[in-house]
Amino acid sequence: MKPEDLLYAKTHEWVCVETDSAGAKVATIGISAFALEALTDLVFMELPEVGRELNAEEPFGEVESVKAVSDLISPVSGEIVEVNSDIADDLEKMTEDPYGAGWLIKVKLSDESVLANLMDHAAYQKQCAEEA
Amino acid sequence: MSRLTPCRLLIDPPASGDWNMAVDEVLLHGANQGGGCTWRFYQWSQPTLSVGYFQNMQDRVQHPGSRDCPVVRRVSGGGAIIHDRELTYSLVVPTDHALSFGRRRLYDVVHESLIETLGGFGIEASLFEQPDDETTNPSAVCGCPYLCFQRRSPGDVLVEGHKVAGSAQRRLGGAVLQHGSVLLDRSAAATELPGLNQFAGSEISVKLLIDAWRERIERGLDFIFTPDEFKADELAEAERVAAKKYGSDSWTKCRGRSGSV
Repeated sequence: MKPEDLLYAKTHEWVCVETDSAGAKVATIGISAFALEALTDLVFMELPEVGRELNAEEPFGEVESVKAVSDLISPVSGEIVEVNSDIADDLEKMTEDPYGAGWLIKVKLSDESVLANLMDHAAYQKQCAEEA
Repeated sequence: MSRLTPCRLLIDPPASGDWNMAVDEVLLHGANQGGGCTWRFYQWSQPTLSVGYFQNMQDRVQHPGSRDCPVVRRVSGGGAIIHDRELTYSLVVPTDHALSFGRRRLYDVVHESLIETLGGFGIEASLFEQPDDETTNPSAVCGCPYLCFQRRSPGDVLVEGHKVAGSAQRRLGGAVLQHGSVLLDRSAAATELPGLNQFAGSEISVKLLIDAWRERIERGLDFIFTPDEFKADELAEAERVAAKKYGSDSWTKCRGRSGSV
């Protein structure tokens, strides 16, 4: 996935929305390269189970870096249909390929309107520049 | 001149671990729901071990000196701390405040204000910096010492090579909580860890440290403190959280990696 094609939450999660074979909209969610750089030295990650229902802005997992524990916040609402469980055992992969192999969960959207609250790449870059 | 941020200042009497952690959680959620900055100084009513959010409880055997201390689990990361002859602080900052940006800013500004304060007591302290040719190996972190004060992370406060202050964070979507601990003296439960009084010419009490540090915090963080007390609804919520969460084995013993007891 190209970072330029993704949507972003102000809490630094990225979202890629695709249509599955049944016509449902499914969002793949990960953490941006900017946030991973800020977190640095990830040591542990806890991800949810498939089947859990999420509301937008609700925590779906936790990540521990050397001294900080951070909530992972869902940018969308819907049912978790897939979890990248392997990533928790290979956190370096997330840093190496945050927009590909480093994805975290896939969510079947229950409400597409929340996508309007997300930023495009240009707006997100602006936020990152302000926070740098 | 930068604009000053109003910050609530709470200076609490010693309390139990359950209560202290519950209060910090209430403050964090208050900021997460749109509240402002709060700084809290506090102590513990008896020597207490606090463990980091993801630390396994069975690892407690690694530190027999503190085995008789009550234990509480923090929401913040990092290693275990023996809260005895020390001063603890908590700081909550909304994530839209510039202090919360970046991975080290909040640690560094707080620790630099402490270093300046310690200089006033004749103690030469500095921030620990990792040499450029060394990067932290995450697996080494997992295998690192059990006690926070035996670990070294960039930004820790050192005196003569000994860590005397360190901090850890919990980040929610809308606010960050930073916990920190400053060792004042050796604890009978951790005699291997020196405190400030092992390096100072005369004894530094909690009150002396708070009085000297608070104005440097204001200056260093561009805060303007408003001394305050807890509101009735905050106390009621803290009582609920202390009883339901921090006083329960399901939180204290069953969290940690792999959820093991």
